[in-house]
Amino acid sequence: MDSLVVDGLGKCYMLGRESEGKSTRSFWQRLRSPLAGAAESTSGTRQFWALKDVSFRVEPGTILGIIGPNGAGKTTLLKILAHVITPTTGRVVGVGRVVSLLELGAGFDPDLPARDNILMNAAILGITRHEAQRRIPEILEFAEVEQFVTSPLRHYSSGMYLRLAFSVAIHMNPQILLADEILAVGDSAFQERCLQKVAELGRNGLTVLFVSHDMDAILRICNRVMWLHSGEARRLGDPEEVVDEYQNAVWSQADIGQSERGRRSNRLAEILSVRLVSAAGRDIGGAPASEDTFIKIRFRTAKPSLSVKCALDLSTKGQLIFRTSDEQARRLGEAGVYEALAKIPRDLLAELPYVATVGCIFKKDDETKEYPLVIYNALSFLVFATEQPDLPASGRLDRVGFIAPKLEWTVREEVPVARA
Amino acid sequence: MRVLRRLFGLAEPALSDGPGLDDAAQGRQRKWVIEPVRVGFVARAQELWRYRRILWFFSERRIKERYEDTTLGKFWLFARPLMPVVIGTVIFGRMLEVPSDGVPYFLFYLAGMSCWRIFERSVLWVTRSLDQNRGLIKKVYFPRLIAPISSVAPAATEFGVLFILLLVAIAYYYVHDGVFYLRVGPQLLVALGAVSMAAFLAIAVGLWTSVLQVRHKDVQYSIRYFTQLWQYVTPVIFPLSSIPERFRFIAFLNPMTSVVEMYKWALLGIGEFPGAELIAGLAITLVIFATGAVYFTRSEAASVDRL
Repeated sequence: MDSLVVDGLGKCYMLGRESEGKSTRSFWQRLRSPLAGAAESTSGTRQFWALKDVSFRVEPGTILGIIGPNGAGKTTLLKILAHVITPTTGRVVGVGRVVSLLELGAGFDPDLPARDNILMNAAILGITRHEAQRRIPEILEFAEVEQFVTSPLRHYSSGMYLRLAFSVAIHMNPQILLADEILAVGDSAFQERCLQKVAELGRNGLTVLFVSHDMDAILRICNRVMWLHSGEARRLGDPEEVVDEYQNAVWSQADIGQSERGRRSNRLAEILSVRLVSAAGRDIGGAPASEDTFIKIRFRTAKPSLSVKCALDLSTKGQLIFRTSDEQARRLGEAGVYEALAKIPRDLLAELPYVATVGCIFKKDDETKEYPLVIYNALSFLVFATEQPDLPASGRLDRVGFIAPKLEWTVREEVPVARA
Repeated sequence: MRVLRRLFGLAEPALSDGPGLDDAAQGRQRKWVIEPVRVGFVARAQELWRYRRILWFFSERRIKERYEDTTLGKFWLFARPLMPVVIGTVIFGRMLEVPSDGVPYFLFYLAGMSCWRIFERSVLWVTRSLDQNRGLIKKVYFPRLIAPISSVAPAATEFGVLFILLLVAIAYYYVHDGVFYLRVGPQLLVALGAVSMAAFLAIAVGLWTSVLQVRHKDVQYSIRYFTQLWQYVTPVIFPLSSIPERFRFIAFLNPMTSVVEMYKWALLGIGEFPGAELIAGLAITLVIFATGAVYFTRSEAASVDRL
């Protein structure tokens, strides 16, 4: 018997005058890209289908990867399955307990210590207090937060938060686990353990729906992959095939879907993609604060002998933090595909979501005219920390501001200036 | 009949077996269905019963967050509800010399306030409950009714505090004046009934206001004035006997009148047991609750989308 049957699932949001609240608008912004296809009317409200007629079945033990550009409906799908939002059309039939990891720290109360949070989560999932208490040591051990049982979660680093959330989820005996991009955060060692654990639980009959932008992880653990695009299931099948097809589509037509403004091609060149990659060159969804990460801009040139100068703006919470550019224009050879890498040094950014706007200025060697390309909000990513928390009292002081560079501090006794 | 069944959700029990909760003790793997149908109130109530254990978590959280970051913690617990009573006693009892059915005005007012407070504070907190639990509501599933119901907890705490103060005041008057104002006897159960009715009415009103508050922020600003106004048409500051006979009909329309009167009658033996008013009040309360419950459950999905 299938553990999950999804039939003709759709979710429609009414946008416009009636719901012009603040929360709706930020939701709106997140979903900006697929709105190109949304019906627009002058009456002030419009329909927007975040998910359209999605159907699939999942057998127990399947690890289903869900991929697609931002705003494709991946989160909407998981939220419906988690019973958080109600679908507009269709039907889902499932068997067994569903545990969801929808967002970092979702369902946790930052003011309560780990213990109380575990008990509350267990209660919400219908697990008896006695049973939950029995599992607490295991949960804390897997999460590696035993020393911090009594400190409230707001003193936790984002990495610890994630470890606890994941550990709680898998120890609640789920039959279905919903994981939304959550494994993008967390140090590589823990990511590895998570993936292994998920694969192991999958072999024991756990059904997993795993949303990720990390194609390596998808290929490693998934048995099947679904590609969502603008709310519709574009492909569903063998991981290698679907991922290949998806990546080809992404590489070839520049999936920089989040942005409508800006200019991504001109007569000299075209920006293909902007990604966040690790030092090893792997696509990542989040940046560990303690490791160097890179913003990679891929572009294709149409003419030989050009030079290019790249720049980027980094902003968070709607504030521009800084603009930085390459020190010099770089010479390019034959027409072809190039990549520009900008290193974001470790210990610079804070534990926040950032948005990067990138620009490249192309120039032909024999002309003085410059041809700029700009992609607004080309990339958004989350920076997360994995280190242990400080003393509770000072813990909160550490997380203020838009960046968190490590400075060199010295403290010494003042040398009195000798007076004549 | 079919309309009623639909409204109260007897027709669609399927969704009550939503994901998230299964019978862990028996290891049964429940089958669940998610559909766009609206779930009726009875199905929601059954679900609420299965989730009853988390009510405690939510209630505890609501109470804790009120007093956690205050230096004087316990002091505020007593000072906050007592302050208005002391001020009111001075203004209404001493300066305006409002009659108080033959008991000291302080006792009269404290008794009225303790009963009124559980209603008023509950309405305020229940109204904000969906907003306050936004973080959880948008991320995990639990019956949404838990949010408004658990918000009565801090109000109940305040009631407990005022009740203790009331007993202290009675003891003081016994020692000082030699009059024991508390009526000890089985009618104390009536006082308990009155308080429960106040809390129930608050939830009934809150089912409306909490949903309305998600749609219209205006509710958040106006609810305070609304409850204040309501207090003035409830015999808290003045005894019911001081209202001219021809205006008494207003008391019939306000369920809190019979609640407060009943409470003071049971505890202090003042006034009369409000027979007809009680029946009218109960009927009105039930109507508000029934319509509120239907409204709340029917707009649940839309409210979550809006949060």
